[in-house]
Amino acid sequence: MAEWLFHLCEQIEATSLGVFVRESIWGFPILVGIHIVGLVFSVGIVVWLDLRLLGISMTGVPVSRVYRRLMPLAFVGFGVMLLSGATIFTGFAASAYKNPYFRVKLIALALAAVNAIVYHTNIERRIDKWDRAPAPPVPARVAGIISIVAWTTVILAGRMMSYTLYMP
Amino acid sequence: MREQGVRQGDPESQVPSPERVDYSSVADMSSLFSAIEKSTVAMAIRDSTILTGGLSGLHLIGLTLLLGSALVSSAALAGWIVNDQPIAEVTRATRRASIVGLCISVATGLLLVSFRLSMSLGTRAFRIKMLTLAAAAVFHFTVYLPAARGRNSVVGRGLAGVLAFLLWFGVVLGGCAFILLE
Repeated sequence: MAEWLFHLCEQIEATSLGVFVRESIWGFPILVGIHIVGLVFSVGIVVWLDLRLLGISMTGVPVSRVYRRLMPLAFVGFGVMLLSGATIFTGFAASAYKNPYFRVKLIALALAAVNAIVYHTNIERRIDKWDRAPAPPVPARVAGIISIVAWTTVILAGRMMSYTLYMP
Repeated sequence: MREQGVRQGDPESQVPSPERVDYSSVADMSSLFSAIEKSTVAMAIRDSTILTGGLSGLHLIGLTLLLGSALVSSAALAGWIVNDQPIAEVTRATRRASIVGLCISVATGLLLVSFRLSMSLGTRAFRIKMLTLAAAAVFHFTVYLPAARGRNSVVGRGLAGVLAFLLWFGVVLGGCAFILLE
């Protein structure tokens, strides 16, 4: 465990925002509610782009159209989820740092982010060749599977984290 | 003779008053809830953080699938995704996914409240969530599904999609309220 990182987490917890999140009666419940709603919106939409990449759903609709129509809503959900998640973190940073499920959640989030970057910078560049194909090429399908696995892990680890945050 | 003996020894066989019937049914429900709460499965869930957390995660995955399906489906019904293809083709996967999401969230939800059934039913947020869930399920099967299959529906396609989404969103909000207020 990196000591300096743990001390940084302790300092984050000691900020006025961290104290508010931890000690206010309604602040924490409302933040968690917003976080869950943001997650349901973003992941609930992203999975449909992933299923299109896998050739499972909306196979008659071009991938680029599915992306254009659905992703703006998902981005709003991601923004809400990240902001509320970061705010919740300030209240429990040191406990979260020691929690194994939080680490799993962060790794899964990083995997989802890298997967999205690889998709946009590499796979999507040749989309004009497979945009209308009912079954996109293997790299696109792999990106879809990785995204579904990563987000499922984020949700499961997130819930496990909330049940085990203060366990020794 | 035997029947008489049973009647004489059984105070419940006296002339029933409405109050008595009510109390007895409440007692029956209480004993049923108590039996569910003390069942092996409920006790195992109560005593295991891994099981409770895992079920909670699966419950959220089910709700995510359900609400995402409702959102994408309502966009499709409103002609937002595509308007030159049969609507049943576009919404086929979302219809199936919404049923899968509903099954996952109901099954895991029942398991999650199995060890605190009486307490949960006494919570206003839980009762509101259950009422919203019932309304959403009835609307889903009677209005939304026919519209999503391209059949005649009592309301327009776009409106059916929007209402279905709002009702399922209400279930998620009720769930959040229940988690946070219990």
